[in-house]
Amino acid sequence: MKIALAGNPNSGKTTLFNAITGRIERVGNWPGVTIEKKEGPVKKNLAGGKTNIVVVDLPGTYSMSPFTQEEDITRSFIKYEKPDVIINIVDATNLSRSLFFTTQLLELGIPVIVALNKSDLNRKKGTVINVQALSERLKCPVIETIATSGRNNGLKELISTALKIRGTKQEAPFVGKVANSNDKSEIEAVDRQRFEFVKSVVSEVEIKKHDDNRLSRQDAADRIIAHRWLGIPIFAVVMWGVFSISQAYLGPFLADIFVGWIDAFHAWVEGILGEGVSPVLRSILLDGIIGGVGAVVGFLPLIMVLFFLLALLEDCGYMARVAVVMDRFLKKVGLSGKSIIPIIIGTGCAVPGVMATRTIKNDRQRRTTAMLTPFMPCGAKLPVIALFSGVFFNDSPWVGTLMYFVAVALIIAGALIIVRITGERNAKTYFIMELPEYRFPSLKRAAISMLSRGKAFIIRAGTIILLCNVVVNLMQSFDWSLHVVEEGAENTSILASIASPFAVLLIPLGFGAWQLAAAAITGFIAKENVVGTLAVVYSITNFIDTEEFELVGGATNVAGVMGLTSVAALAYLMFNLFTTPCFAAIGAMRAEMENKKWFWGGIAFQLCIGYTVAFITYQFGTLFTTGAFGTAFLPGLAVVIIMMSVIAYFAGKGEQKAAVKATLRA
Amino acid sequence: MNGTVSLKTIMPTKKRMGRYDGGTVNLTNAQANREYIIKDIKTDDLELKGFLFTLGCYEGEKVTLLSVLGDNYIITIKDAKYSIDRNLAEAILVSRSF
Amino acid sequence: MGNIIGNIIVAVILVAIVVAAVAKIIVEKKKGAKCIGCPYGKGSEGGYGCCCSLHNDTEVN
Repeated sequence: MKIALAGNPNSGKTTLFNAITGRIERVGNWPGVTIEKKEGPVKKNLAGGKTNIVVVDLPGTYSMSPFTQEEDITRSFIKYEKPDVIINIVDATNLSRSLFFTTQLLELGIPVIVALNKSDLNRKKGTVINVQALSERLKCPVIETIATSGRNNGLKELISTALKIRGTKQEAPFVGKVANSNDKSEIEAVDRQRFEFVKSVVSEVEIKKHDDNRLSRQDAADRIIAHRWLGIPIFAVVMWGVFSISQAYLGPFLADIFVGWIDAFHAWVEGILGEGVSPVLRSILLDGIIGGVGAVVGFLPLIMVLFFLLALLEDCGYMARVAVVMDRFLKKVGLSGKSIIPIIIGTGCAVPGVMATRTIKNDRQRRTTAMLTPFMPCGAKLPVIALFSGVFFNDSPWVGTLMYFVAVALIIAGALIIVRITGERNAKTYFIMELPEYRFPSLKRAAISMLSRGKAFIIRAGTIILLCNVVVNLMQSFDWSLHVVEEGAENTSILASIASPFAVLLIPLGFGAWQLAAAAITGFIAKENVVGTLAVVYSITNFIDTEEFELVGGATNVAGVMGLTSVAALAYLMFNLFTTPCFAAIGAMRAEMENKKWFWGGIAFQLCIGYTVAFITYQFGTLFTTGAFGTAFLPGLAVVIIMMSVIAYFAGKGEQKAAVKATLRA
Repeated sequence: MNGTVSLKTIMPTKKRMGRYDGGTVNLTNAQANREYIIKDIKTDDLELKGFLFTLGCYEGEKVTLLSVLGDNYIITIKDAKYSIDRNLAEAILVSRSF
Repeated sequence: MGNIIGNIIVAVILVAIVVAAVAKIIVEKKKGAKCIGCPYGKGSEGGYGCCCSLHNDTEVN
């Protein structure tokens, strides 16, 4: 038996889906995140002994006439895959809009149950809905649900009703007969009648108490939080607060404890191994696996705190306001209003972020967004940020905050350049986005989000990161003739000889050591590898060392091993964050760009940006701190100038193309 | 309120352009916190029109401009709040409801 | 002799760990994961609220 969940966006479908199936699907409501339908079996205690009840969560839609790709999925599924029962989730706080879609569903003949969700919010607002009357008017069962609540949420009744009405024929309260489906004006006329019908139903069943005060308080908050200029410093302060809690206070406190356990485990394994074991095996196990993976996992508590705080921000409705503030800049540089969505999703992971660009119709805007989204610091980049701000900047929260702002600045600058290269400007776009009401964030939801992201982090550490560390360790332990590298002759190892040529290129950026080059290279496999590889090549077991921090009273120890100045460290961090992303994200870019020229151009562009940003940071940072440019300024400048000229050449060609277009039209 | 005042002073030409006979203006010229009736959606794009329709944004329906935040116009239609951009706000023609 | 046995045990453990990691990656790939263990999407439901954004690209050059 198949039950389909359908309804308007943000009506709480996924929350209900999770409550019914016990899953933790965390896909937000941005269109394009839910690009595909999700299926899951009903939880045992709800199914009432029955098995084989499958629930399908569909992307949100406002009507059966598809407007976007993801809406089409919903329509096709209901029309062609014929679910046994449709549960139509209706936002009880917005009946007059939601019931439009309901009446369309009721016409299909498939039995429908209306789940009147968010009924708790209505109670708070003082709105009363006559469920009995609504059910009679719609000719289908109506059940009040509170998907966010654990008990008395109406879910059991929902499923048992679904079992009961299965196989019955749904009667339609409103039949929108269209004689000629190609006649637009006829369709519109029918839909108008449909809305009139909905209005008459709503006026009968709903008694509203107007609570304008609460709403105007929200509007007043919006006027400040989403203010065109004030919104930016507010966002900075919020991010600074997030990083200061996760990076400077609570995070390190928890991380200290956690790292103590990892160290103890390391020592325990070391004790068991004893002296008799071959040094190569010993090194793989201790330095490669436990040390390398441990160094990455050591950041887990810190990052979980960060995930938790970010989840709170999303849940209270703040992120939608950030989108409103940022949207303006993106539009100015020729991106779509929709581009903000992939970018915000990209703060979690670039892969779904790039995939979310699918909903952008214009090819240039979609490809540009796919190219620029990976600049956002994703979850995998957070340990790298945490490592460098911890080791070189005394856990200062401004490092993390700065990275987000640099990312946004690079996206804007990047879009500005690309729009010139393509010679396509002045595309008129319309943008509309529903603003959710502010609400008190749910600690439970944030905790669930944090735990599932923490789990994902551990899975990554235990698979990709672990394997990479083993390989790095082997390559470091042997030379090309497969002899074990002697102590003091590390430069002869396979790893050193591969990484050294790249290291030469990095000298103008302030970090020309082969170890750092190797870490940057493994970072393309997964960005956490930067941390893991640094741990392996420098034999550092953790970067949050409890005792050593206390003894030295600063992080000079680890910093000293790496031999980087603070400025060079910042340049290295920026290089890793703002160059080409990991392979998974590159794969997603290729899939969404659907064009080889764009794809390779995009990768080259990202490399150029990463190099240039690191160069500027290191050289000018060094100039400001010491009064002179850093090492190899001129060769680096030459490289940057060459890259810029190539970009300028293409931009010039694009401008010509635009000029030709303009004259053709005139 | 501030939003509308500044709009008037900064863009007097826009205001004249947006005016229609019989007090019909586009949403960029609407006053905040006052209910308007939608008169027309001025666009050639039938898809856009159809989508707005499903939100309940079509002739004869009510719309309220809550505030202007830079280039974004915060409006309510039925019981939902939306942020729309200037292009869209210019396409929605409204008149005062009495 | 003890060394050899000890080395074999450690080697077996290492191989087991590596094989387990590879197996996990293969299983995830088979499930269709594009990025193993990526924190998929963002946010709890309804966090951002809906975003029924649409856009329409018409060149008005």
